[in-house]
Amino acid sequence: MEDYPEELRTPPVSLVSIVGCPELHPSISAALSSQQPPMNTLALPDFSKASILARSGKARDPLAPPQAPAGILKKDWLLKHRTRVPAAVAALFRADQVSGDPAQWLQACSDLENLKSAIQGKNTKLVVVLVQAQASDELSEDVTVALRKRAEIDSRHMIVLVEQDETEWSRSLSKLKNVFAELCSAFYKEEGRRIKARIEKRNFSSVELSIRYCFKVAVYAEFRRDWPEALKFYEEGVRVLREMIGTSTRLPPTQRLVEIKAVAEQFHFKISTLLLHAGKVVEAILWFRKHIRSYERVVGTPEVAFLHWEWFSRQFLVFGELIETSAATVPDTLSPRFGTADNALTEWEFQPAYYYQLAATYLREKRYAIECSSSVANLTTEASGIPESVMPSVYVGQYVRLFEQGDTVSVLPLSDTEYTSYALSEAERFQDSYEIIALFRKAYESFQSLGATRMASACSRGMAIEYYAAGDFSNAKQLFDGVAGLYRQEGWTTLLWENLGYLRECSRKLNFLKDFISYSLEMAALPLFSGSGEENRENKIKSGPGGSPTISRRENIQQEVINVLKRKQAPDGTNDEFDNAMEETTHLDIDQISPLRMVLTASVAFHDQSVKPGSPLLISVSLLSHLPSPVVVDQLEVQFNQSDCNFVIHSAQEDSPPLDSNLHDQVVEATSLTLFTNKWMRLTREIKSGQSGKLECLSVKATINKHLVICCHAESPASMEDFPLWKFEDHVETLPTKDNVLAFSGQKLIQVEEPDAQVDLVLNSAGSALVGEIFIVPVTILSKGHAVHSGELKINLVDAKGGGLLMSPREAEESESHDVELLGVSTVDGKELKEEVDSIRKIQYSFGVVSVPTLSEGDSWSCKLEIKWHRAKSVMLYVSLGYSLGSTEEEALHRLNVHRSLQIEGQIPLLVTHQLLRPFRREPLLLSEIRSLGGDDKKCSLAMNESNMFIVNARNCTEVPLRLHSMTIEPDDDGKQLCSVQQVSGISNGHAVIAPSEEYKGIFSVNPRASSSNFHLGDICLNWSRDSSLGEDQETHVIMKQRLPEEIKYSLVDSQNFVFSGAHNHAAFILPKSEHTVSHKLVPLGSGSQQLPRITVTSVRYSAALTPSTSAATVFIYPSEPKFNLETSCSTSDECVS
Amino acid sequence: MASTACFVIVSKNDIPIYEAEVGSAPKKEDLAHQHQFILHAALDVVQDLAWTTNAMFLRSVDRFSDLVVSVYDSVVHTRFMLLHDSRSDDGIKSFFQEVHELYIKIFLNPLYLPGSRITSSHFDTKVRALARKYL
Repeated sequence: MEDYPEELRTPPVSLVSIVGCPELHPSISAALSSQQPPMNTLALPDFSKASILARSGKARDPLAPPQAPAGILKKDWLLKHRTRVPAAVAALFRADQVSGDPAQWLQACSDLENLKSAIQGKNTKLVVVLVQAQASDELSEDVTVALRKRAEIDSRHMIVLVEQDETEWSRSLSKLKNVFAELCSAFYKEEGRRIKARIEKRNFSSVELSIRYCFKVAVYAEFRRDWPEALKFYEEGVRVLREMIGTSTRLPPTQRLVEIKAVAEQFHFKISTLLLHAGKVVEAILWFRKHIRSYERVVGTPEVAFLHWEWFSRQFLVFGELIETSAATVPDTLSPRFGTADNALTEWEFQPAYYYQLAATYLREKRYAIECSSSVANLTTEASGIPESVMPSVYVGQYVRLFEQGDTVSVLPLSDTEYTSYALSEAERFQDSYEIIALFRKAYESFQSLGATRMASACSRGMAIEYYAAGDFSNAKQLFDGVAGLYRQEGWTTLLWENLGYLRECSRKLNFLKDFISYSLEMAALPLFSGSGEENRENKIKSGPGGSPTISRRENIQQEVINVLKRKQAPDGTNDEFDNAMEETTHLDIDQISPLRMVLTASVAFHDQSVKPGSPLLISVSLLSHLPSPVVVDQLEVQFNQSDCNFVIHSAQEDSPPLDSNLHDQVVEATSLTLFTNKWMRLTREIKSGQSGKLECLSVKATINKHLVICCHAESPASMEDFPLWKFEDHVETLPTKDNVLAFSGQKLIQVEEPDAQVDLVLNSAGSALVGEIFIVPVTILSKGHAVHSGELKINLVDAKGGGLLMSPREAEESESHDVELLGVSTVDGKELKEEVDSIRKIQYSFGVVSVPTLSEGDSWSCKLEIKWHRAKSVMLYVSLGYSLGSTEEEALHRLNVHRSLQIEGQIPLLVTHQLLRPFRREPLLLSEIRSLGGDDKKCSLAMNESNMFIVNARNCTEVPLRLHSMTIEPDDDGKQLCSVQQVSGISNGHAVIAPSEEYKGIFSVNPRASSSNFHLGDICLNWSRDSSLGEDQETHVIMKQRLPEEIKYSLVDSQNFVFSGAHNHAAFILPKSEHTVSHKLVPLGSGSQQLPRITVTSVRYSAALTPSTSAATVFIYPSEPKFNLETSCSTSDECVS
Repeated sequence: MASTACFVIVSKNDIPIYEAEVGSAPKKEDLAHQHQFILHAALDVVQDLAWTTNAMFLRSVDRFSDLVVSVYDSVVHTRFMLLHDSRSDDGIKSFFQEVHELYIKIFLNPLYLPGSRITSSHFDTKVRALARKYL
């Protein structure tokens, strides 16, 4: 649009001229141009310049026959009317010029005459302006009348300007403006009417004039802002112009067409501008469509087709720019109904980008046309050469040759051939590519911002093709890559094919071997519609370097890749391309989202889900290729995350398998590794599982032609995606493995389990623990098949009732004391691990870690856990052994663990109670004081200086016999002063054994020596241990001390577990200090803990009965050996308390 | 019959599942690509437009010089796109409706996987016959 002249681009503005009084010109011009509508001023400083207003053209003889016009529109006509032909002329005179001096008056008169003669023959109006200094300087009536008569003007057109007074000045100026506006309107209307009359009377000799008149009428209408009339005549002009194409014979055909198009372009531009300025977007677009349709086929001869396309492209570009600058938006009422009956426009037609894109497309047509034309021109018109000094003529769209002969310069018309070669040489000077790219980029950005990615990528493709054509392959490749992504995603294979064809060529040109191979392979693996046509050579340019998408072409492309690889193999490298691709092999990496998945897909499935380490397992490797020709694989390498498991399969056909594979790889030979198109190649191998943990197949590397290594990421059949492009109605879906279950659920990874721990961990427990003792739990580690290296024993004590902590919440707050405490660990030989203190890493109250020495197979190691209960509580003891099989770093990573747990009850061993026996009162019974009841601590009064008996009962609450070593009362300081405590009866021979639920009574004599109301006797201290001789003797004799013979009766109650011999009821006399043994023979009927027959002893004298406790009458019966003469005898003992 | 026409069925993933050049004009291979490019680019407009209207037949949604794209929005967003240069709307509409019936028959085939390419020669013949009849 910028190429158009200014006068065409802007709406016409009326022109007036002012002559004389140059000092006033700036203010008058400014006032006129600020007018609405504005007026341009042609300011002439004095009257001598007035001659330029005179008609410049030669005076035509009115009687001469009308000549045929040499062109349609003169180039400068519009400019002339905007700059040189004023609608009105104002002659400015100062008042003193015309009033005083007669000489001055005469001068003024002659100036006026000159001016009048200059504008004679035109309709230009004359205005006379008298400039006064003051409003009061009244000119005489005679002068003004004389002046008016001289100028032959109406009194209205005689204006007085008052210079000095501000208000008067602006008032008179506005009067001038009004007069000017009125005169301009009249002038342009008159001019228009004059020309229009010619059209109506058809008073013209040729079509060209008709068009010219239309243009003129329309421009005059524009001058006076009569837009509808302007539009009407422009459209009329276009109509006539279009009809002219077939009829005119004035110029040679090519140049005629060029002229017509140039004129049509101007007409069209005017119409579009008018419509868009009026806000009629839809009309403008419809008009544009009509314009395009009427000229699109007017290409002309093939040699000058490029001129047509250039012109055509410019139409789109200019219209796009017009739409963009006019800022006209899509009317709201229209937008939702594109493509419906009442709106034939599409959404894009309102977007400038649409036009830019089309402009670029047609400009590309021009480029193709130039290429054709120049190749023809080079062959034929080599000799004739390009005509010199060709220049545009005075008519729009015409070119002439300047011919100089001596001093005379004449203008000669051109022949079509000359013109063609001139235009071609002109056109070749331009770099269209850059313009095309710029246009596409503009459209691309615009579409991208509109969210139309497909349109944007179409533009992007256009850019890429231009870059490709211009030889900028890296830019082209980048753009093509972006576009190919979209086509890949949406599966437009035909488009993708073309794109890849370009990409392939770009890579070839850029010497990117790897890209070339991958694009070629992708192309070869593309699915194509079977209906696609055959190879068509003549359209090679347009269908891109890839050629037509056919199966044979695909095969060719695959073969090309093979050829490239083979040539690389050749030592001397005869290939002209990829000569500096020095690398030995080309690696292609194919993952799950790679477009090359179609080329090669590897599916790997383990047959099992988990496996023991070291045991064999089956793996299926399946390969699929969509390449059209069979692919011969030289070597297949399957790689795992544990490199020990990697294996290589060689094709047996190969003559010399390279033996450079790693040592730990398993090398397998297979008969043939050939992939046929769209058929799974299935291989099943047995491999040995490696270390425990995850064993995952990472990739399958296929080596093709020795120098191409395709590394496929392994895919699990269960999670394998299908190929979106290769989904055909009649294609049977094939499975990667023959086993259907494996095909749907197979995984590429397998869990290798931990090896079974072959170490035994034994926890022995000796029943319940007792509060206060150091409870020993022996732990034994017994190796049964594994050597134990860097073993570690973890010990954990947890509250069996849950909660974890071995503290009651209240205590946890108050103190650090624990209910159960792990004191330490000692080895089995009893001595504390003094020297190995370091190795006992951590012993806390409830947690301990102990290191275990290295044990070889078959060894055992034991230790003892020392646990102390402070409170009766049930505790879970967890012991876990972690070890590794070897001492090397690698082996140390794999640790094996053995866990054991044990629940241990904590019990209170002895329940201690006491009572006081006071001596009988020997004083009269007097009520000394009233004892107050209440208060839980039973205070009792003791007799002073008398011996009070103090009896302490210790009852065994456990189920094991306890040995009581001592029972003492340790009086505190207070007690020592106030009383003396003596033990009356004590533990006889070092210790006393208390059977479960039995009581031991210690008797003390307390002798208070002073009276005290509050008196603390002291603490009872019991020293006990477990009776280690537990259950050894079953016959217990208890000696009784008694002063009198006693008659006792006893009776036995049957028990279902025993049969016994002897009397059920009997009586006996027991002498003092003697013992009586009642013997019964018992035969147990079952084994285990059994209740003996109950014996009840009754003292006749006191009629007191004694029944031994249940626990005392329970005996454990061992299962007998198969002998029947074994007897178990048992005697019960009884004890009488006096 | 229209001199140029390219008919494409596009699945809901925007993947073409059937393509046919159904014009009576002398076959020009170079234009086959061009046609597909136009149709592909028109998908942008179709996507926007499909949600604004209930009509299945959307005519002239896009144009490229004198070629017009008309679209028929079929079941589950399968789109029939026709690039043509004639303006006989009724013929195009009838063509679309009949092709729609054919497509439904394909779609009802239990062995047909929705979204896979239609390669049935029967379908192809029928579509071409319809094109001759209506376009």
